[in-house]
Amino acid sequence: MRRDLPGLSWPRLDDAPIQVACHFCDALQDAPRLLEGDAAHCCRCGELIYQNRPRSLARATAFSAAALIFMIIAHLFPCLTLKAGSAINQLTITEAAISLYRDGKELVAVAALVFTMVAPLTLVGGLLYVAAPLRHGIALPGAVTVTRIFQLSEPWSMLEVFLVGILVALLKLGAIGDIKFGIGLWALAGLVVCTAAAMSGIDRLELWDRLEIALNKPT
Amino acid sequence: METRSAAAVGLASCHLCGKVSPVALGHCPRCHTTLHLRKPHSLTRTWCFLIAAIAFYLPANLLPMMTIGGFGGTSSDTIMSGVINFWTDGDYLVAAIIFSASILIPILKMLALIWLCLAASGVTAASPKALARLYHVTELVGRWSMVDVFVVAILVCLVQIGAISTVLPGPAILSFAAVVVLTMFAAISFDPRLLWDRQHGLAVEEPEKSPDTP
Repeated sequence: MRRDLPGLSWPRLDDAPIQVACHFCDALQDAPRLLEGDAAHCCRCGELIYQNRPRSLARATAFSAAALIFMIIAHLFPCLTLKAGSAINQLTITEAAISLYRDGKELVAVAALVFTMVAPLTLVGGLLYVAAPLRHGIALPGAVTVTRIFQLSEPWSMLEVFLVGILVALLKLGAIGDIKFGIGLWALAGLVVCTAAAMSGIDRLELWDRLEIALNKPT
Repeated sequence: METRSAAAVGLASCHLCGKVSPVALGHCPRCHTTLHLRKPHSLTRTWCFLIAAIAFYLPANLLPMMTIGGFGGTSSDTIMSGVINFWTDGDYLVAAIIFSASILIPILKMLALIWLCLAASGVTAASPKALARLYHVTELVGRWSMVDVFVVAILVCLVQIGAISTVLPGPAILSFAAVVVLTMFAAISFDPRLLWDRQHGLAVEEPEKSPDTP
């Protein structure tokens, strides 16, 4: 990476100075090109407007691919195994939602399934679908729609909350029986870390600028 | 006064991709999202979600979250009694986590959103910078309230019709999940730019004069 070159920034469609409006206070300002790692803050409210993050697409691709692998493992293997007498029960992410459904809390079960499975999957899968080909300047069909969907699903991905829920449940269960940690739990922890790393690696404005170039490329 | 609001010169930044373009275009030239100067009907929507959340808050706290059946009959736990159980068992950290996630955060979040709505409609005056920080915090911590719902789901899943005890989800779990989801929707529909409009005397009142408002 040519880190020391002045004026390095992600490429844009044209070199004309562009304007940005702070999404927090709507102050209109010119958007300068930033060195890698630098951030632009709003001159009125101090809010972060955008940031040139080093190797953002490579990081997003790598971490979202890793997160996807962790996600498969986390769904295949149980997070916890509870042994009480002759009964053995296993906890997986989907099983937790299904048992709510079985006990007559269908709405909550569907919500839990969305928060722990659907939203994380669209978030990570969508990011990988957009970021990986974008590294080579290619936008796959539907990239704009996919970006819209994974941006919308971001606040609804609650795996880290689920992880804390497991820790709290552990303390409640201590008295009941033997608890064994499964591979699923470690995979879940890895998934939470990788999702956070993938999302923090990329800047919204940068992603859209790169997408715009890829979409306007003559084929 | 160098800085102007984009809305004052008829420019809107796209909700989705952030590109600034004239609101008269109707759609973002880059990603084809409908352009709005401000989130449409932001205050009305936020109030609606808030009021619904407040209505669900009472059953969420008064009804039992789960019923535990064991040797000595069954016992029902509300959120508060669960916290008290942890506290008397000496698990102070867990008691504190559950208390802040399930009781403190929802109520503080609802109060914060009420204050933000009042400030945005000009009833109370406060510095937008402080309010902005408040808005950030409410956006960040709201999701963590979900932890109690997940705990119940995990317990229900693990402690099934075993010989020793069973756990059944209680009626409060639906109300509680509703509180969390509704406050999240309220926070998402709130437009912090309204706070600054108020301070700078820029009247982009709702309903806005966007070309495709029905």
